[in-house]
Amino acid sequence: MAKARTKTAPAKSSGKKVDRLKSGRLKSADSEADEAEDEATREPEESADEEPTTAVAATNGHARKRRATAQSMAASQRDISVSEFFAKNRHLLGFDNPRKALLTTIKEAVDNSLDACEEAGILPEIWVHVQQTGPNRYKVGVQDNGPGIVKKQIPLIFGKLLYGSKFHRLRMSRGQQGIGISAAGMYGVLTTGKPVKIISKVSPRKPAHYYEIKIDTKRNLPEILNGKGEGEDIDPGEKGRQYIAKHGIEWVELDHGTRVTIELEGRFIRGRGSVDEYLEQTAIANPHVKLHYLDPEAGEGQLDVRLYDRSTDKLPPEPKEIKPHPYGIELGMLATMLQDAKAMTLSQFLTSSFSRVSSAVASRICDKAGLSTRANTGKIGRDEADKLFHAIMETKISAPATDCISPIGEDLLLKGLHHVVPGEFYIASTRPPSVYRGNPFQIEVALAYGGMSSANKVPLDVLSELLEESDARTLRQFLSSTFYGLGSDAADQIIKEAEIGPRTSPGKLKTAEVAKLHEAMRSVNLESGQTMNVLRYANRVPLQFQHAACAITQMVMNTNWRAYGLNQSRNQLPTGPVTIMVHMASVWVPFTSESKEAIASYPEIQKELRLGLQSVGRKLGMYLRRRLKVKQEGERRNIFLRYLGEVATAVSDINNADRKKLYDQLLLVAKKKTSQADAKLDERGRIIDEEAEDLGDNVLIVDPTENFGIRNLEAKNGQKES
Amino acid sequence: MAKKSRKGAAKAVNGSAPKAVLTDRDKKTLKDLVGLADRIVDDAQKKRDPYLDIPTRALSNVRYNKAKRRIEMGSNKNRRQLFNLSQAKSYMQTVLVASGCKQLIEEGKTTSIRGLYYLLKHTIDGTREETFDDQAECDPVIEDVEVGLNSLREELHVYASNRGNLVGPLTLIDSGDEIDCSRMGSAGYSIPSIVERQVIDFKKCTAKFILHVEKDTVWRRFSEDKFWVKHNCILTHGGGQPPRGVRRMLNRLHNELNLPVYCLLDNDPWGYYIYSVLKQGSINLAYESERMAIPDAKFIGLRSRDFERCGLSPSVKINLNDQDIKRAKQIASYPWFEHKKPWQKEIEQMLANGFKLEVEALISKNISYVTEEYTPQRLADGEWLD
Repeated sequence: MAKARTKTAPAKSSGKKVDRLKSGRLKSADSEADEAEDEATREPEESADEEPTTAVAATNGHARKRRATAQSMAASQRDISVSEFFAKNRHLLGFDNPRKALLTTIKEAVDNSLDACEEAGILPEIWVHVQQTGPNRYKVGVQDNGPGIVKKQIPLIFGKLLYGSKFHRLRMSRGQQGIGISAAGMYGVLTTGKPVKIISKVSPRKPAHYYEIKIDTKRNLPEILNGKGEGEDIDPGEKGRQYIAKHGIEWVELDHGTRVTIELEGRFIRGRGSVDEYLEQTAIANPHVKLHYLDPEAGEGQLDVRLYDRSTDKLPPEPKEIKPHPYGIELGMLATMLQDAKAMTLSQFLTSSFSRVSSAVASRICDKAGLSTRANTGKIGRDEADKLFHAIMETKISAPATDCISPIGEDLLLKGLHHVVPGEFYIASTRPPSVYRGNPFQIEVALAYGGMSSANKVPLDVLSELLEESDARTLRQFLSSTFYGLGSDAADQIIKEAEIGPRTSPGKLKTAEVAKLHEAMRSVNLESGQTMNVLRYANRVPLQFQHAACAITQMVMNTNWRAYGLNQSRNQLPTGPVTIMVHMASVWVPFTSESKEAIASYPEIQKELRLGLQSVGRKLGMYLRRRLKVKQEGERRNIFLRYLGEVATAVSDINNADRKKLYDQLLLVAKKKTSQADAKLDERGRIIDEEAEDLGDNVLIVDPTENFGIRNLEAKNGQKES
Repeated sequence: MAKKSRKGAAKAVNGSAPKAVLTDRDKKTLKDLVGLADRIVDDAQKKRDPYLDIPTRALSNVRYNKAKRRIEMGSNKNRRQLFNLSQAKSYMQTVLVASGCKQLIEEGKTTSIRGLYYLLKHTIDGTREETFDDQAECDPVIEDVEVGLNSLREELHVYASNRGNLVGPLTLIDSGDEIDCSRMGSAGYSIPSIVERQVIDFKKCTAKFILHVEKDTVWRRFSEDKFWVKHNCILTHGGGQPPRGVRRMLNRLHNELNLPVYCLLDNDPWGYYIYSVLKQGSINLAYESERMAIPDAKFIGLRSRDFERCGLSPSVKINLNDQDIKRAKQIASYPWFEHKKPWQKEIEQMLANGFKLEVEALISKNISYVTEEYTPQRLADGEWLD
């Protein structure tokens, strides 16, 4: 990493002076190796910081003197700005390495765009443009057709960490803290020195605003670079169009919307954990989004290299904002709320600050706490707050309203999954809302069975590209890390089939060998060695990393899939051509870290996950049993058919009977027999009509032989019963 | 369909191959075979699933006839269905064997069971599966057809390979050739698989009794030592469990020439069972007991007490294994041994010894001990098990 960054140094020095000084400082905070290089650009106050240390070094030679005094230490004790903290701890935000940085940047921008569109009630259309500008350097542009941003907010939203609308409210949205996009911009400036460019338009008649911004990490404030620190307005008419063309500003002509362009150091990969994968998974969970994706390999002037079209025109219902539920509160928070509350009675405070607290409930709480309902909030001290807190926890309060969550819905889950994941059987299940720590949440599970693994359908040219880009050391490693659901067993099988040494480096394959590998990947049956593909979502955002730490993966592993007809080793992901998608929608998703990659395991969440997984599992089991039955019936008939010809020939040899006629008659009997043999009997000896066993709603069965033949089993069953 | 993959012989049947002159027995067998095929056609027409009833060839379906002192087959039958997953293949094979036999009869030819296996072996159309994977799969099916049609192997024009030899003062006519069994050199006369009257006729016999030994080694010893000359007897062996040809030969010699039969077999469960098969008939081919069993046959050795009585070296002992013990107990409980006290004692003693002895063990004492001392003494003393 350090080496890569030094390459970017010349680019920086060409910038303005301020710019140069800033980036120099930021970098010094970042890595020791760069520190020496940038020494010259340091500001004097920083070297002053080092004085105590040098003093210590000097005095150290003498015996037993105090190294530093309280006074000398105090000199170096000062404020840390949020921006500085995150610049140093960028991994907390998902910028651990160039590969992830590129993905996180796109992810934050797209998430913000979607949130904005949905909040404004606009069907989202998103353009994602990734362009390579140098070795390990990419320009990322994300544009939406959202409501736009008013002029004075633009610099703050994109140039200040922890600034946003989503933190202080309890409302289901993708973003939560207001860190994401500004952190991405900061990372871009840190690594390339190029400012973040934002263009936003509110209405077709009004001018669009154009900003070039950098974060002042020390003060956590935006620094506007263009238009003499004021930004520029672009005329809505022809003049503006010319201006855009002249200044090379990227903008897809729209009535309203926002585009953010960030140039950053990154690495573009394909396969697992890639931008491609993120966008594909986003399309699954957001069937109302139209997504244009232009990747770095796209040629000039192409607009839609990859288009994920929407499969529905209906926006998800608008999630409501709720007040916190008393059960979700902590003592410290309660005390702060009491302090902040204007002078009012305790009863008023409780009913107005929390959801589900009526005046009756409030008086019950106060009774338990031994406080008067009419006590003034300003006079509640530390002890009283403690009593109040325990009283709240002991009082029975009904669960929070759950209509504030907007799940994807079974119907759209099926559509989304079917749109993107090939398969033959789809099932979706949306659990009723539930509550953890006073936060309402809802779990949705959808499953696709069958279809080919991505390894089966990868085209030859893409494969050779993947091979070139891969940094895997061996072919085996390459296969299992690039393709979802491809275990090492399957990888071995493919390599064996292709007759290539397993330790061959993926980059060193000859053209003929690549062709062989491609052939093998198509021909090898991967069903057996394939592991379940788990797609995790939190508020419609795909989670791509840290799967082992996530409650979803853990629950999938803990579920007994063998009962549903899949193979599974103990506490492992089941094997088979299965894709499972799990979505957690909540006003507050409990992530294990700020990079929002794994959901924490609360018992309530675990329980809902388990129930959701079991409900799709049951349906899958039913489908698999039914499929197996049909297969067995076919096999049985096959066995008979195999011998019928021989029997007919032998018999006609003996008694000169008409062979053809005898064969046909035997065939008829065979059909009759197989259907009888397959009928299952219930306890009373009656034949059970298995077809009548209902798979229920929200099941999609696709005939694997035809691509678009979707039939709704429900409708078919309905006919039978009538 | 399948005909294409079959070669030569099959074409001849339907082509212009000269039809052989059929004997009455052939006609009857043919009629049975056609009847079997007709039933299948009939079932198919009526949309019933075709089946073959084959008498069960197991201990459960044999009865010991005390009066006749031989095993008889019961009336239990196994139903073999075409439309049963586990039976479909063997059903097909049964019909195939029937058609093969029909072809042999019509052409007036005979073949060994191995020959029939090759005649019928071919790849099933449209698959990579063979009608028969090996001969072991074919042999029981041939027996099934025999039992199912209640006809003898020779009536189906099938025979087994020769096994077992004979030497002694006997002259017989084998397929028209006169053979003097006392002048057959060192190897003796090889007993054919089919020894029925139309193949073999006895012309002259001066022997007083028959000595049947288990295997070739012992038989050679007796033959070389001219035991049969000294004692004026016929000497036979059956190469272990005697094939039907040997058993039928012994049966005919016993019944037609009134020669008593003495058996010298190993002192182990398999030896006991050989004796049992010779005397009462086999469980597997119980339907042939009438032609095969020799209820008067005697067992002269080896006895469980011979190890001590003859002072044999301990190194000839063979320890009983679990299977031997199981089998010995099984034999002891057969109805035809169950009430014979001497036999129960004999088997008990072997189990108590914990080892078995082969007849060859006697050779360790002296090469000709078995021919010069052991056997003559037993015969003179009249010491045998019945």
